[in-house]
Amino acid sequence: MGATDMNGADSADAKHSYVLLRVGNRRFALRAELVEELAPPVKLHRFPNTTALVAGVIVRRGRIVPVYDVSRVLCGRESSVHRFYLVARRKFGKESEASAIPVNGECELANSEWVAGRSDDAAYFAGSLQVGDEEIKVLNLESLVSGAATAAPGDGPSEVRP
Amino acid sequence: MKIASAEGNKARRARPGEAVILFCISNQTFAIAADAVQEIRSTDSLGGAAIEIEQAEVPKVRHLVERAKRTYYVVSGCAHFGLKLTRPTLVLILRQIRAAILVDSIERMAEISKLHALPRGFEGDERKWYRGLAYLEDRVIPVIYPGGFLTTEEFVRLDHATAVSAGVPQLEGAAR
Repeated sequence: MGATDMNGADSADAKHSYVLLRVGNRRFALRAELVEELAPPVKLHRFPNTTALVAGVIVRRGRIVPVYDVSRVLCGRESSVHRFYLVARRKFGKESEASAIPVNGECELANSEWVAGRSDDAAYFAGSLQVGDEEIKVLNLESLVSGAATAAPGDGPSEVRP
Repeated sequence: MKIASAEGNKARRARPGEAVILFCISNQTFAIAADAVQEIRSTDSLGGAAIEIEQAEVPKVRHLVERAKRTYYVVSGCAHFGLKLTRPTLVLILRQIRAAILVDSIERMAEISKLHALPRGFEGDERKWYRGLAYLEDRVIPVIYPGGFLTTEEFVRLDHATAVSAGVPQLEGAAR
């Protein structure tokens, strides 16, 4: 079995299970082993912070889980409608933390062949899947939710998000 | 053995929570340890005692107050947290540091039984602002780290600015 990180897909062993999720009008894929649960639209608690993409937190099973509004990166705007939170593990060194992404529509499981990404793909994409006629990008969760996905050269300090 | 075990459990159950003050700034609720606050005053009652200081290096501080022979820098809670500006009505004078915080209102006192760590996904200034998060009656409320209102460097700048502005009238007087 090839080396695998927690976010991307390895080239040596390309067939994995993926959760297909919908953000905005597009579908994306995330390695199934990263996904903890699909949570209902529980209350989003907001408080001031300056971290890019963090919209607030939800409470799941006694834990406080940060919510990343990745639609700003993936679709270019904040999501106005979502039905669920996809809770996945984000890696921090040797440890990991539950992290939530607002998704709309139901998620499904797929076992499709992974295809390596193109050189011009954004860093938060880790290849793609061919599901029927549709090419679905595989998300690299760590790259996606870290500030790197939103920071552009010359950007000033992050705006406070209450 | 059984008795000791039962007593141990009882002690754990009886562990006291932490008393906090819930307060609001710009419609946002925060908590601060009750023992971190020395005094709560209305801005009206403090108005005469507040001295305006002219400095631009720490924009969230515009005034200082003298209390019990100590100088407290008055920090705008709105400016500190980057919230929409409101008209504060109260000042929380802190105990451990020479800072007083302008807030809109006090919600109530409460007791928190557990302080949740701020998730590591939070990577910005909030790591300096908050000690952690409290889950209280279906609300997640950030618990303030009092030392986060002003850094040591900001205190040095403010002390310098205050000393300079205090020296101006003397120099002017000397010139006459």
